Amino acid sequence: MKTKRIDGNLLEKMLKNGLANLKTHEQELNDLNVFPVPDGDTGTNMLLTLGNGLKNTPSSYECGKFLVDLSNAMLLSARGNSGVILSQIFTGFAMEVGRCPLLGPGELRNALIRGYRNAYAVTIQPVEGTILTVCREGIEHIKTMITRNSSAEDILSMYLGEMRKSLTFTPDILEVLKDAGVVDSGALGYIYIFEGMLKYLYNDMLPDDYVEVLETITPAANADLSLFNEYSIFEDGYCMEFILQLMKNNKYNQHFNLKRYIEDLKLYGNSLVVVQNGQRVKVHVHTQKPAKVINLSQEFGEFLTFKLENMQVQHNERTERIEKNITRNEVAIISVSNGDGMTKLFKQLGSNFVIESSQNAGVASEEFLRYYDRCNADTVIVFPNDNNLIPAAEQAAKLFQDPNSRILVMPTKTVAEGYFALAMDLRDEKDVERRIELMKNGMENVATLYEVTAVKDYSGELVTVSAGEETAIINKTPVCKGQDKCSTLMEGLAQIEDIDDYEIAVIFKGENVTDEEQETLESMIEEQYPLLEATFIQGDQKKYNFVVGLS
Amino acid sequence: MKKFVIIADSNCDLEEELQKQYDIEVIPGHAVLPDNTEVLTYPKWDVFTQEDFYAALKKNPDGFKTAPSNVAEFLEAFEKAAKEGCDVLCITISTALSGTCNFARQAATQAEKNYPGTVVKVVDSSRFGPGFGLMVVHASLQRESGKSLEETVEWLEDNKNRFHQGGWLDDLSFVAKKGRMTNAKAFFGTLVGIKPIGEFDKNGMTTVIGKIKGAKKGYSVVLSYIKETIDNPEEQTIFIAQSNRMAQAEKFKELIEAEIHPKEVIIKDVHMSCGINVGPGLMAAYYMGKPISDDLETERALIEKFDAETK
Repeated sequence: MKTKRIDGNLLEKMLKNGLANLKTHEQELNDLNVFPVPDGDTGTNMLLTLGNGLKNTPSSYECGKFLVDLSNAMLLSARGNSGVILSQIFTGFAMEVGRCPLLGPGELRNALIRGYRNAYAVTIQPVEGTILTVCREGIEHIKTMITRNSSAEDILSMYLGEMRKSLTFTPDILEVLKDAGVVDSGALGYIYIFEGMLKYLYNDMLPDDYVEVLETITPAANADLSLFNEYSIFEDGYCMEFILQLMKNNKYNQHFNLKRYIEDLKLYGNSLVVVQNGQRVKVHVHTQKPAKVINLSQEFGEFLTFKLENMQVQHNERTERIEKNITRNEVAIISVSNGDGMTKLFKQLGSNFVIESSQNAGVASEEFLRYYDRCNADTVIVFPNDNNLIPAAEQAAKLFQDPNSRILVMPTKTVAEGYFALAMDLRDEKDVERRIELMKNGMENVATLYEVTAVKDYSGELVTVSAGEETAIINKTPVCKGQDKCSTLMEGLAQIEDIDDYEIAVIFKGENVTDEEQETLESMIEEQYPLLEATFIQGDQKKYNFVVGLS
Repeated sequence: MKKFVIIADSNCDLEEELQKQYDIEVIPGHAVLPDNTEVLTYPKWDVFTQEDFYAALKKNPDGFKTAPSNVAEFLEAFEKAAKEGCDVLCITISTALSGTCNFARQAATQAEKNYPGTVVKVVDSSRFGPGFGLMVVHASLQRESGKSLEETVEWLEDNKNRFHQGGWLDDLSFVAKKGRMTNAKAFFGTLVGIKPIGEFDKNGMTTVIGKIKGAKKGYSVVLSYIKETIDNPEEQTIFIAQSNRMAQAEKFKELIEAEIHPKEVIIKDVHMSCGINVGPGLMAAYYMGKPISDDLETERALIEKFDAETK
């Protein structure tokens, strides 16, 4: 029987299946990145965006409510460019059908239209040949064929068919895809989500193991355990989260009744979220007596995953945080770095907070948002220092709810741009606007060159690089290759337009570079560009051997 | 009219030739080297060559320490003058940077007690290095023009804030770490190619009034700044101080001669006494000009203006 109307619970299950489908293709999507190094990580970003969104959305029978909650959660969990766009598409869905309890064919069609329109509207420079094109053409080409008798299966099948067609044309639209011989990875990720959703309707259920992915990205690592000691007052209890596998063995109670289980849990705690998915039950509960919860649950099965956190620690951390920032700052600066040396330097140069971007997951809007809050400042100046993080920082700025704070995202595409901006700052200047002006001057006319050891084969416009070879990258494009770091970098430098016009070079030395290599490079630069004022800084970045900023 | 001698501490960086030319006596200071030996610091390269000194300092910034000339050393110099029947004008490095001035004042009281009838005046230059040295030279010129000790002191107090610094310090880490500049904390962190423009402030320290990206633009902005603030360049000797930046200083000298036409430009080294606290990378001109405003707002605005005008 075909599905005429989608309710909130069904949509949730469909989306989880979509997520599972996305998960199966995560690596494939990551590999589609047009880059010899794992940079954008589209697959991971989309997975984390949707996965964390779903994780933080309470189930609801009402489809509209579910979508509104989901889109809000996704805004916060959005990572990377593709994640931000994905979250905006879902925001569009929610804008259109936020008040509809059920999605019929008309609602579904309108939601899909509003979804892409919203994504275009909020994207600063929409680029065709990406997820945007695909989700637009997907619905535009079929919208007239949808009637009141169309089933969800019909609509999604047509939608998917059109999107797949559209996807094959993406290399014709985006040259960079054609050069690399791939289709757009964000668009393909979007298709996988809908493919999984349709599969669910056809009872093709994929293993629901997304939780395992999610556990890795929400570590409790930022809790400071020293905040809880023998004098602390324990009143907040524990936060428990687990997945219970219901067992068939007759050692266990075979009469699991979800409603009854929930009623029992309510005796021991609150903030209860319990979701049953087949023979698995996911539970979130705040309790003073974890043993009671464990005993009750073990009557029915065993734990697949288990997490127990002392909420007093989290609570204390929060109070301390508020105390720390109780004085309002006029200006606060946030920078993103990716190495210990760089972090230290950015702190010295006046950043109040330096966010270390982890290599694969970047920084989520949510994280930016948290830091904006921590700054407690009239003007918060943000340096994302990475092309892929600018959207997340900007999205967070839009979501930030303090009318007295101005969030200024400086679009620094590289750490070199961020460095020059910060180095130009005059911290004792009282006129904030002049400081901003100076920082903007700093980031202007900066050229950045990366030198990296390729981790996979790549065929580009200018060079074909094999894994293990050295390559220099300008504007995301590998421009040359070689066998050793220094000479490859020199070759890359020579390809920078008007290289002789640059006066200054700041060179961040990566974690994997030896002092000998630095010395070799120093003398090569000295010989080749005697007028260039070059300074090496221990950056300790992981991926790139050298990051050179020229100005 | 009673004769008076001019005595300055070694932070004035006036080498023997200038000491002779302007009839100035310089009292050495003290420095402790990384191997814990103590040496007297004169404005000359007697212990190290300039290159060796700045290279060693860069490698081991915390290994070198300075101490001012002590009361006994000042007293000895003052009493020697008193015995010869002279009064004394003693000019010291800025009190904001060193305790030298206090020691000199204590010695002055002592000397006046020991030699009744002798007058010892101590003036805080509110400057350091060649900026301070230039003030000492001007004191000597005042003396030459026939001014008495009291008149010379009055002239110094009235004109102190007309002694400018126009230039930059490449590496602020030394002054920042040793707190020898205004808002030192705001200047931690390596600056690559960015030129922080420093000017003397009313507290006798250096304040950064602007930052310029790149030396090329830096020269041009600083030249405009000097042109705007200098008085009667054709009658002036301009000092250029350099700590391990000889090539830059020579270029700067050429530019100043070509565009500002002063009577004379002398490039001066920053010797150990000041060098230990300033570090390598100072390249600045010292000259007399319009009075420096108390809050430096005028001067900041000028740098901002010239920065915007220069492409």
